[in-house]
Amino acid sequence: MQAADHLHKHEHPHDHDHHHAPDALQAWLKTAILLALGAYFIYNIASGNLTNYINQRFAWLSYVAAALFLALGAAGAWDLLRGQGRVQCACEHDHDHQHITWLALAIVALPLVLGTLVPSRPLGSAAINGDISLNAAGANFTSFSADPLQWNVLDWLRAFNSADDPERFNGQEADVIGFVYREATFPEDTFMVARFTISCCVADASAIGLPVVWQNAGDFPQDTWVQVRGVFEVGAFRGDTVPVLHAAGVETVQQPEHPYLYP
Amino acid sequence: MQKTAGEQTARRALGSLGWSAIGLGVAGGLLAAVISAGSDLGTIIGIFSTRFLGIFIEAAPFLLLGTLVSGVIDSFLTPEDIARVVPRNPVLATIVGAFMGFAFPVCECGVVPVVRRLFNKGLPMWVGVTFLLAAPVMNPVVLVSTFVAFGATPMLYGRFILTAVVAVGVGLVFALGAKPHEVLRAQSWMPAMGGSGQISLPAAPRKPLRTGLMDALRQAGDEFFEMGRYLVIGTALAAAMQTLVSQEVLLALGRGPVISVLVMQALAFVLSVCSTVDAFLALAFVGTFTTGSILTFLTFGPMVDIKSALMFMGVFKRRVVFYLILLPLLMTLLAGVWLNLNVAF
Repeated sequence: MQAADHLHKHEHPHDHDHHHAPDALQAWLKTAILLALGAYFIYNIASGNLTNYINQRFAWLSYVAAALFLALGAAGAWDLLRGQGRVQCACEHDHDHQHITWLALAIVALPLVLGTLVPSRPLGSAAINGDISLNAAGANFTSFSADPLQWNVLDWLRAFNSADDPERFNGQEADVIGFVYREATFPEDTFMVARFTISCCVADASAIGLPVVWQNAGDFPQDTWVQVRGVFEVGAFRGDTVPVLHAAGVETVQQPEHPYLYP
Repeated sequence: MQKTAGEQTARRALGSLGWSAIGLGVAGGLLAAVISAGSDLGTIIGIFSTRFLGIFIEAAPFLLLGTLVSGVIDSFLTPEDIARVVPRNPVLATIVGAFMGFAFPVCECGVVPVVRRLFNKGLPMWVGVTFLLAAPVMNPVVLVSTFVAFGATPMLYGRFILTAVVAVGVGLVFALGAKPHEVLRAQSWMPAMGGSGQISLPAAPRKPLRTGLMDALRQAGDEFFEMGRYLVIGTALAAAMQTLVSQEVLLALGRGPVISVLVMQALAFVLSVCSTVDAFLALAFVGTFTTGSILTFLTFGPMVDIKSALMFMGVFKRRVVFYLILLPLLMTLLAGVWLNLNVAF
């Protein structure tokens, strides 16, 4: 008797009471959350916000996620609309199925809440908090273009890193884009043109930057995206002797399509 | 899974206690940090949101793929098929056990029911133990997600090598030091071997592909909520840590060759984040924590965490559950500390 009872339970691991109204409501909510997550991924892709979060190289994963969320949501909606509620599924895995709780629904909805209520922005100055590097490992000259005027902040730091003598870059022209980063200790005519690099997603973001000297540095508030043209001259910065970009011109520009650099 | 009422109550109480503790801890930490950080709240929420969504967006597809792949394979291949191909030689069988996850991908929450079924089909106890510990990492979905997170680095190879070594090691300890009836709860194994046979599980019927796919879709929807909550909480914690906790505090915890490993083990145990996506959480610790500690997080977490330890109790005797937690804990701790002290990454 006991064994038979157990077998019965085992074969219907999901067969909780599905007939109560709160369960129906829960099933609809689950379906709605799945569909909304699918829509959120599509919105991120379409709006270009995706590049605020992950490396462009892995954008295809978000296409997969959007498709799967919509498929799961559609399957749920199909079952609900046919009035079957949760058809007893023939599957065997009884992964310790607790009833999904309201709390679980609320927790899983958190990405939607943050994604819709908080404006989507890439990491900026406030996320640096003093932790900005003037070094970039992985010097690989073949990875960037032959024309130094095309080099970005990361390319320059790699070039400096692999050169034994920073003086070598004296007089070298550069043209880079980044956001303005300034600490209280910087001289008045100095800021850094900064970027975040990410390999996978913002979880591994790290800030890098080039020191810039420009007479009207104060005109550009923190986080302004700027294009800086100038010439390197080795100088002292934050206690180091590094190539400092002496600007011939600084212009405000639009935030680039890819706010992060991908090493 | 037969459980006494007392055991169920205890599990439920333990579960809700765990959740309340985590919730209170996170809320308290956030509050304290927001107050002490001094920047304005809007900025902090903005940064937190970006970091949180970054991990979530990168991880969500793997959570979905993980459940779908195991659901779909379930309709082609049954655990019985696998139990049949295990070699006779005990050492060889244990090694095969470590790699079976590539044929039968499951994460740590899906592995326990599969193992119970394998035992029921007469798989040697220690091979099952090895599979239990190895499968959540040794499978194609985790291979891809770890590659996406870390690239082809020592972290990727290290995760797979260390997992295989620890799982085979623990399996061999069980092979040498324990008899099946001392390890498994009576109902978990074959009557022929002296089990009570109270649950001789019926062979899983091989499902037609279409039904299998539909079931896999339904199942994945449910599981996304079950595992998604661990992902969301773990992600929130990692993002809050990066946003709110000062670099000095993190470095103080994360630079010590021993303390960093212990901290990451505790985190892995408590967070219970699914092995398909824990690599993305680990990324948040890369700048501040030792490489050995992160590798430990990536190997220990998938073997043992709160969620899986609770499930172990349905299959193994209580004393054995203790060893199943302790042995991987000590082995990964040793490996992590040894790497920190002896290997320059």
